[in-house]
Formats: sequence, structure tokens, C-alpha cells
Amino acid sequence: MVGYESSKSRRRHEIKQMLKQDSSQNTAVLPKQVVVKEKKIAPSGFIKKAKYFYEQHYKKMIFFTIALLIVSIILIGVKVATTGDFINKGISLKGGTTITFENAPDLDIIKLMDDLKANFPKQEVNVRELSATGRQLGIIIDTEVTATEDINVIVNFVKEKLPVSERGYSIETMGSSLGNSFFKQVFIAMVIAFIFMSIVVFMLFKTFVPSGAVILCAFANIVETIAVVNLIGMKVSTAGIAAFLMLIGYSVDTDILLTTHVIKRKEGTVIERIFTAMKTGFLMTLTAIGAVTAGLIFSESDVIKQIMTIMLIGLIFDIFNTWIQNAAILMAYENRKERKQ
Amino acid sequence: MSKAKKLFTNTRVIILLVFLVLSIVAIHPRFIEGVAIRSVGINSSAQIAGITNPKANIAPTSREVITTVGTTPIKTIEDYAKATSNLTADTTLVVETNKNTYRLTVKPKIKTVVLPELENVTVKEIRLINVTVNGTTKAVNQTFENIVLRNKTITEIVGVEDIGLKVFDAPTTNLRKGLDLQGGTRVLLQPERTITSSESELIIDNMKQRLNVYGLSDVVVTEAGDLTGNKYFLVEVAGANEEEVKELLAKQGKFEASIKEAVVFRGGGDITYVCRTPECSGIDPQVGCGQTSDGQYSCRFRFSISLMPEAAQKQADATKDLAVISYDSNGNILPEENQYLNQTIDFYLDNAKVDSLNIGKDLKGKAVTDIQISGGGIGATEPEAANDALKNMKRLQTILITGSLPVKINIVKTDIISPVLGKGFLKNTMLILLIAVIVVGAILGIRYRKLQITLQIMFNMAAELLMMLGIGALIGWNIDLAAIAGIIVAIGTGVNDVVVITDEVLSGGGANEPTGLTWKEKVKRAFFIVMGAYLTIVVAMIPLYFAGAGLLRGFAITTILGATFGILITRPAYASIAEIMLKE
Repeated sequence: MVGYESSKSRRRHEIKQMLKQDSSQNTAVLPKQVVVKEKKIAPSGFIKKAKYFYEQHYKKMIFFTIALLIVSIILIGVKVATTGDFINKGISLKGGTTITFENAPDLDIIKLMDDLKANFPKQEVNVRELSATGRQLGIIIDTEVTATEDINVIVNFVKEKLPVSERGYSIETMGSSLGNSFFKQVFIAMVIAFIFMSIVVFMLFKTFVPSGAVILCAFANIVETIAVVNLIGMKVSTAGIAAFLMLIGYSVDTDILLTTHVIKRKEGTVIERIFTAMKTGFLMTLTAIGAVTAGLIFSESDVIKQIMTIMLIGLIFDIFNTWIQNAAILMAYENRKERKQ
Repeated sequence: MSKAKKLFTNTRVIILLVFLVLSIVAIHPRFIEGVAIRSVGINSSAQIAGITNPKANIAPTSREVITTVGTTPIKTIEDYAKATSNLTADTTLVVETNKNTYRLTVKPKIKTVVLPELENVTVKEIRLINVTVNGTTKAVNQTFENIVLRNKTITEIVGVEDIGLKVFDAPTTNLRKGLDLQGGTRVLLQPERTITSSESELIIDNMKQRLNVYGLSDVVVTEAGDLTGNKYFLVEVAGANEEEVKELLAKQGKFEASIKEAVVFRGGGDITYVCRTPECSGIDPQVGCGQTSDGQYSCRFRFSISLMPEAAQKQADATKDLAVISYDSNGNILPEENQYLNQTIDFYLDNAKVDSLNIGKDLKGKAVTDIQISGGGIGATEPEAANDALKNMKRLQTILITGSLPVKINIVKTDIISPVLGKGFLKNTMLILLIAVIVVGAILGIRYRKLQITLQIMFNMAAELLMMLGIGALIGWNIDLAAIAGIIVAIGTGVNDVVVITDEVLSGGGANEPTGLTWKEKVKRAFFIVMGAYLTIVVAMIPLYFAGAGLLRGFAITTILGATFGILITRPAYASIAEIMLKE
């Protein structure tokens, strides 16, 4: 422990000293244009390069993430214009029945789909694969029917194609009115959650721009994730909605970490504080991504898979939105504050 | 002071340890083999032998566990199924549980077989006749005999009746597995109009009673709401695919018997007794089953009930002015005892006619308290029809006993989860949890390059999981999919928080760094971030608790509870442990 700690801190200390020298030379002694030129000769070492890049280009980086957000909003807008909804609603959100035969590894899905279509031409029936680690475990049938008799007809039809030992099944039926009201409700809940969250964030930092940046980051995470979820054609279920809410929690964690480091602390330069926070924040996101990926690969549950997929997409966006967008906003904010002083 | 001594004398660490011990006590892990009793069938040999239905909210490890059936030791459900599969009628079966030993008498199962050949049989028709005994008039069933040509039937013992126990693998902890983990039926119902809180209490009680009378004891009925003030009722029946439950719950249960539009009695208050024993309920032995013109089979059921005197009087009033029909359709005069009134008595359930019966001439104007209710069932085969009839009978009996709901309610969502899927899901969840912990541990190991820190964070994760499960066992909440999602969030944020604390206290390496912060100040700084993250997640979850018919309520509660215990107990303890272990 001793060796690790001291060498680490010594290195950190050295870097700090170097950067201090750097910045004092650049900002105090030399005119600004020259600074840029001189800095372009580029410091060595990845972290230093990254810090340098950040300081030089943070304003451009905001454009990148804002563009990402705008593209996502446009994509969602197009989605709303063409389908009337901003996500692909799964059966549990629009009403219908999901029948899961959890143990049918050999059933040919395409053939079953054709058979079902031929036998039930009036109903919209869709067959999916239930799988874990790339192996088919069973099948999932989505249909819009909700009447017990209609469901039983389909269940019996599939049952006959399976050996007796594989006939276990689960049925989930959601009435369309509840599906719709649930969707609206969770949407409202999400808006309220956002408002509450904004209040808490504002109370923590007591300044408008940094708090706004935190909220913007959480908002961007969700919007961009929705856009990607739409692009990959995922049909979102009630559990998927929960995943979006989980995303709020995870994305705010790193933002609060970053904002606290930048505006509540005074040691080092802004960029140093950002990078200190980043070291912790990356680890937080990385552990989450690791756990989520494990869930995604090994889960045999369709619902868990969906939650994990949404979380994974969201966490990846969170890296960009926190460490590029939010960091850049904070940097601009701090620089401006310094200039004012 | 040695590190170990410091650790175990630290208040925060002691608090954590106390909570961990309490959690283990609440979870009550035990090693047990056998099958736990989920429910006992009404009038089954098990019930007759004295085995009682477990209470609905009993702690899982307090359930009675069957250890031996006959001479076979029972370890799994398969053992139980095997041990009860080859029973002989009218023999004694000894069932040993962890609480008692019961002697069950196995009942024979009798079946009526309809043969192809025809025979002349005397078919009895039951009509209510008033008999005056010691000056009081009482209606009794009197049987009239008609001779008709019918299929020959024989009754035979076809096997044994189920002993009436529903069982599941004995729980090894007090954790209540939700439906997603153990299989079962979940029904979400919505009343058609807004209801008052007293009405909603009435509905919950009635539904519970209905399910209990129906023979399901392991049920949970709760109320749920949403942000716009809609009310819902959530009914969960554990461990079984009970599709009939849907039918039973969706009925408002408004039962009416009327003669010529006048209601003579209603279900619930007007009825004092509903017979459910085989002697006075079941497939009508006089009518039995038969094939209808369209090739289907139909069976008739009947059971007797007793009415309040007021209801009987109403019936007397309704029949006193009716005309007597004394000729059959061919114009032949009917024998006196076969004559009937010109109006039928009609039974309606939720405004749909269930059955219509002739009223015997003798009942005209008489206040009868004991009467017979009948109805039918249909099916593609005779057993199917008989089954359908019995199912309808059971439902009608249940509804007559429990009365009607104050408002019509509709099913808005049903989940029928197969127990196999549930079991697999639990196994899979554990696997994922284990892999996720390993992955997180590996990432932390790579980052910190110190086994001690990694182990400490993993201990923190385990402690949080244990505490959440402990609270779950204590307050008796069901660990279902939503709760698992909540646990994942809480543990995930827990890892985030301890990473923040670790990085913060390690910053600068010690108190002698240029920043000059003491250990305490560093922890305080870390807790500002931890607290901020905690508050945001809690406020984000609060609206979810109230939204959307409570479908995500479990998720919200688990997340909030997990995060709260995390911030109050495990994270302060973590900071203390980190200080003791890492401070040089």
C-alpha cells in the first residue's frame, strides 16, 4: 500500500507542479495567441494531452454533444410524426398478450410464425426468440388479443407442437386502456421526478448554470437513449420504462461528482479538478457497465435483458454527456467567473 | 490499538454489524427438506384429518412442512407427487409434518359412465313441497317420478380423490418469493366508477373471502392507485396457474332470483346457508349429463341453499297469484303432483340468466326457506362438461356466500407465470448477480490494485444486499422482478458511492498533502456527493411509487429503502473501515 500510494501521489504532485508552471507562464507572461501556438507543440503523456485538448477545444466539444442531442430530438420528432408515439410500445404498454414458452429450444420460430399467421389470419401475432448467451431457450409470442378464449386457442396450437415436457408457459395480458394510462402515468412521473431532481440539484449547488447542466445531462441521456432504442427497433415494455428511470439515478451520480469537484473545490485548476472527478466517475460508470453487460449476456429473462440494454446505452451516453458536455459547460462557467473577477 | 480492535470498537461498524445480524435473523436461513403446505382443499381428506389452511401472511419458514407420506420420506415436490400418486381408496395414509402427524382417509373417486344402450329409467324430478310439521310450514324437496328412455349408466370407482394438499418445496428462508420467482397468477382489476375508501375496503374483503371460499388461501389482495386518482386492486395467487380466478374476481357477483320480473331473493344477505357437501351439491344425479343437439355435452349441477324468512315470504307473495299448469304440451292432464306454475323462477348472475326452473304447484303462495339452485355446464366431451358444470357451481356457490361487490370491476391486466419459469428466473438472477459482482470486483481490482480495497467494496455490496433482503423478510414484501431491479439500482449506487468515498480519502495519500485536509474533512467532502446522489434518486423514485396502478411500486420502494439503509448504515461504516484500514 505504501509503495503504491506514495509513487502515485508523487506522480500526481509532479504533474500538478508542471501544470502550475505551465499555466503561470502561459496566462501571466505571454500574450494569448502565442500561448496557443506554444501549447500546440503538445505536452507528452496521454492524460496531459487530453487535458490540453480539453482546455483548447471544450467549446467545440459542447457543439458535438448538443448536436447529438438535437439529432436525437429530431429522430424522436420524426417517430412521433409518423407513428404518434415517441417509442415503440411493447405489448405491455399498448395492450395485448405475451405468451412465453420458456422451454422450447428446438422450436423453429420462422415456421411457427408462418403457421400462426396461416391459422390466425385476423390476429397480429409475432414470435420472438427467448435466448441467453446466444442460445435459444424458448419462444415468446406477442399478440394483441386479450380474451381468454383467444389466448387459449393460440396456447393450445403451440402446445401441440411441443413435446409434453416442454409445455410449460406463462401468459401476460395487459388491457389496452391500462397499458395506455400506465404509459401516460409513468411519463408524468418522469416529469415530476425531473422537477424534484432539479430542485435537489439546485439546492446542492445553489447556482443556476451548473445545476442546469446536471439536469441537461440527465435529460440528454434519456432522450438520446430513447433515440437509439428506437433505431434498434426495441419494443419497450413496462420494465423498460423503469430502466429509463434507473438511468436518471445513475447519470446524476456522476454529474454531482463532477460539479462538486469543479465548483465546490478550490485546489488545482479547473481542468485538474475535472480530471480528478473523471478518474472516479469513469470507474463508477465502468463498474455499472460491467455489471449491466454481464446481465445482458447471461440473462434468460426478456425483461431483464431489456432493462440492461437500455441501461447500457444510457451509461455510454452518460460518459459523453457528463465528461464532455457537462465538463465543458462547467469549464466555460468557471472561466467566465474568473474573468469577471 | 490494533486495527482489529479499532474496527470492532467503532460505533458505525458496530451499528452495521448489528443490522447485519438482525438481517440474518429476519431472513432466518435454515436447512430443511420436505414440502411446505400452501393450501388445504375444502372437504378434502387432508382437511378432514385436521390439517389446517395456513394463514395468508404467515412467514415462509413458519409454514407446516411435510416430511413423510406413508413410509416415504419427502424431500422434494417430486417425492411428494410420487408418494401421493398410487393411493388406494379407503385406506389410511399417515402424513408427518414438522408439527404433527395426521391420519388421512383416502376418498374414492366415483364416476358415472354413460353406456350406449338405452333403458327405461325412472327419472326423478324434485319440486319443493310444503310440509306442515307442528303447525309450521317448511318446504321440502319432494321427488316425482317420470319414466323415460335413457342411456344406461353405471357408477364405478375410478380411482382416488386428491387428498387436497397443495405443496411447494419447503422455503429455506423467510424471503417471500414474488410471483416472478415462484410462479402464480396476478390479476389487476379496476372498478368501473370511482369508489369510496369504505367501498374499496369492502371489495378487498370480499375478494379475499371469495378466494378463500374458493379454496385458495395463499392470496394477497392489495389496493393500488395512480396519479390521476384511479383505484386498482391487485390480486396475487402464489404458485398456481389459476385461470378460474380471473372469472371469479371479474364477476360483480350480483345474484338475483326472480319470478316474473320481481326479485325474490339476492345473493349474500338473503341467503343464510349454501350447501357445499357432496350430499346436497354436485352434478345433479337425477338429470346428470347428456348430449345436446349440436353434438356437445351438457351437465347439470344443483346445490341447496337456505333463505332468510323475509326472502321466503317474498317468494310466497310472488307465487300466490300465479296460475297452475295442469296439462302437458300434448294436452294430456298431468298428475296432481307434476303440475307446475305458469311462471318460472329465473336465476341471474350479473344480469345474465344462469338458469330457469319450473315451480311446483304446491309452492304457490308458500314461504319456503330451503330451495335448490341449479345450472349447467357444457363441453366437447362428457368429462369436460361435468368439469365445466362443477366449476360453474363452485363459482356460483362462492359468489352466493360472499355476496356481491358494490361496483362492477374489470380485469385490466393478468399475468400467469409458470412455476418452472419462476424457478429458472431465480437461478438465473443469482447467476447474473454473482457474475456482476465478479466483474465489478475485477474492475475495482484493476483500478485500485489493492486487494484490500476491492474486498472492502465487495463486502459493502454484500452487506447492502443482505440488509435489503433482511428488511424484505421483516416487512414481508415479495421479491419480484420489480424488487430485483430496485436491488440492482441500490447496490449499483452503493458501489458508486463507496468509489467516491475511496477516491476522496485516498486523494493526496494522507493528511500531510498540500491540500492539507484531514481524514474527517475528506470523508465530509465525499459525503456531500454521496448525499446529493442519494437525495436525487429518492426524489426521482417518489412519483413512481404513486404512478401507474402500482406496477412499479415495488421497484420504487426497494430502491428508496436500499439507498436509505445504504446512506445511513453501510456507507458511514465503510468510511470508518476505510479510515481504520487505509490510514497510515
